[in-house]
Amino acid sequence: MNVAGIGVVFTRGRGIDSYEEALRQGWVPPCRVELSSAPDISLPVYYVAQETITDKAVLRRIRRADRFSKMAVLAAWDAVQDSGIVLEEKGSSLGIIVATAFGPHATTFRFLDDILDYGHANVSPTIFSHSVHNAAASYIAYVLGTRGPTLTLSQFAFSFHQAIILAESWLNEGRCDYVLVGGVDECHTVMEYICSQKLAIADDGKIKPFHFSASPSAVPGEGSVFFLATRTNTPKTYCEISGLFLYGDGIEEAPDMYIFDADGMAGDERGYKDAAATSVMIAGYSPVFGSMMTGSAFHCAAGALMLKHQIRYACPVQDNSCGVNLCAVTESAEIKKIWCVRINCVHEKASIRLKLE
Amino acid sequence: MNVVITGIGGISAAGANLVEILDTFQSGRRNGGSVSLFPTVLTYPVFEVRNIARKWHREGMRTLSLALCAVEEALGDAGLQDDLSGLRVGICLGTTVASQLNDLEFYRTYRSAGTAAIDAVDRFLKGNLAEAVARTIKVRGPAATVVNACSSGADAIGVALSWLRNGVCDIALAGGADELNLVPLCGFGSLGIVSDSLCSPFDRDRRGLNLGEGAGVVILETEAVSRERGIERVLYLSGYGSAADAYHLTAPRPDGTGLEAALRKALAEANITPRDVCFVNAHGTATRDNDKVEGTVLAGVFGPGIKFFSTKGFTGHTLGAAGALEAVFTAAALRKGWIPASIGFVHQDDEISVSPVTEKTRIHGRFAVSTSLAFGGNNAALVIACAENGGS
Repeated sequence: MNVAGIGVVFTRGRGIDSYEEALRQGWVPPCRVELSSAPDISLPVYYVAQETITDKAVLRRIRRADRFSKMAVLAAWDAVQDSGIVLEEKGSSLGIIVATAFGPHATTFRFLDDILDYGHANVSPTIFSHSVHNAAASYIAYVLGTRGPTLTLSQFAFSFHQAIILAESWLNEGRCDYVLVGGVDECHTVMEYICSQKLAIADDGKIKPFHFSASPSAVPGEGSVFFLATRTNTPKTYCEISGLFLYGDGIEEAPDMYIFDADGMAGDERGYKDAAATSVMIAGYSPVFGSMMTGSAFHCAAGALMLKHQIRYACPVQDNSCGVNLCAVTESAEIKKIWCVRINCVHEKASIRLKLE
Repeated sequence: MNVVITGIGGISAAGANLVEILDTFQSGRRNGGSVSLFPTVLTYPVFEVRNIARKWHREGMRTLSLALCAVEEALGDAGLQDDLSGLRVGICLGTTVASQLNDLEFYRTYRSAGTAAIDAVDRFLKGNLAEAVARTIKVRGPAATVVNACSSGADAIGVALSWLRNGVCDIALAGGADELNLVPLCGFGSLGIVSDSLCSPFDRDRRGLNLGEGAGVVILETEAVSRERGIERVLYLSGYGSAADAYHLTAPRPDGTGLEAALRKALAEANITPRDVCFVNAHGTATRDNDKVEGTVLAGVFGPGIKFFSTKGFTGHTLGAAGALEAVFTAAALRKGWIPASIGFVHQDDEISVSPVTEKTRIHGRFAVSTSLAFGGNNAALVIACAENGGS
């Protein structure tokens, strides 16, 4: 299937142009937040600024939606705008697939606040309805006025991969003519605490994708990326995209570039060495947007931009202690195939393959 | 490509397996009662599962335990309990509760002390339903957990259908599971749609839903794979339709066009007309809005003579499991040739032109439909067929 449009909401702004600018700009330090449990400890986090998700025109009818839904709606909206495709009359032929690792957990905890503060019989129905994982997908359909299949998947590290595999299936079956497929995850004070307990946090604020460490460092992030996918070619097509669960241990058919989703979120990253051992150029852009289990979507957006513009973006953090064939300079390049690879916490691999159509 | 159903399994308050559940359906027993699983001031009746097999008990992971019970039964029914190695097996399961990091004790402690033991988070991370089932039964393949609120189970079966048609896997375990949990009980209560008595789907005097818990699983295979395994008597998953209301987070679109679109899509995929459908296993939650919209749509699509029922009077609303359990019940009904009474229904609602069956009813025909409606305006429909004439 082809990528006809991309929408991005991330720590440095909104829109595919902002994202490309960030890729060119390279690493910038994350903000630092004090842990509520230990105010003397600060945690680096790539938060999305409130003004980034303030759009009175698009969000007019969903003012009560939470941050999670707003990030998803804006990224989805922007993907459609970026494609130039007019969705009127096509509403029922557009499917929506939202991938999320943790869902709107900030709202879930607000609902738990209600239970603890006001008792079982006095909670807010509005907060409850927004705490349901598929609220964001529902809002996307509502804002866009689309009536096709609308689904939310949650599979931790492979959430976005499963979403891509399903989007491809829907298009192949003729279930839809277009699929808006994307990922969204948010950070929140409780998640900050969990990350501080479960992950090795990069004190210097730098994710190091090429350390291939057994205990890699993370910098929590949040945001959303959506792709408008279709089988047909469009004037703005970026590339082909397909998802693959790898049953074997290896990665066949070497591409022109691997992008590694090594961001410290899934523990042991030594498995990436297999692919890194080849002569293929390696990249990883997690330091631009932060550690997220749905970070694969951001990497696919980076890959799509590189294929469309025939350019390589320099890796934002080039700590290369393993001596891999790192993409070190932003420059024009002839690229036809990029595999985005993620390894989960039990060492399973999945990849998303981007090709020039 | 034909996709066949070679195994089914289910667990709910109506029984720990399909034999028990069908017996409950025949007897008309209703196992609803007070909440015993957790302390609460809420007095709504609920449908709790009483007998989870000890070997599947997982501390703090009740949804997974329920799912594993249904998986075991479905695999046994399909003759696959011994060896799945060498097959590309996909797992697609729907849930609501198991997808949420909503451990109240963890959060209470964190909120008051600024720190809390992380074991609740570890359980959550190990409890992704599809992944946990895949690891338990030791299969390798695509795993996806569908979190589409109350249509999750039906949509998970629809996703697995797409996987098989597209060669993503050879066999798929699909369905849904959800435990009874305080958080949705409070939430549904706050919405004012929970009944303080046993629910009465489609009844004139219905006062809302009862929450329940359970799991339903179907084993799906391509017809070619099932034939290679020597499976002869099968059911078919002939169609799946899904459509969004794009209307409201918690209320169905009043004109029912989302549900109608999902139904017509499923029928078209199955290449049948509404006249070919011998019964509908309706979502039938017993809320004012759901039943009015659904009853009206069923009457409009299938006509006044359609035989339909809701099993929620036996199971309660099992949320992410509901669509899957009801698909399992639909498949079982096609095998057995009868459908149960729509328990709880007594009085015709003047606003709904059709009424559900009120007694165990023989059915004749090949095709049946199961419908699901959900928060967020999701609508899903599955067409299941028996193989009287050798395929769909």
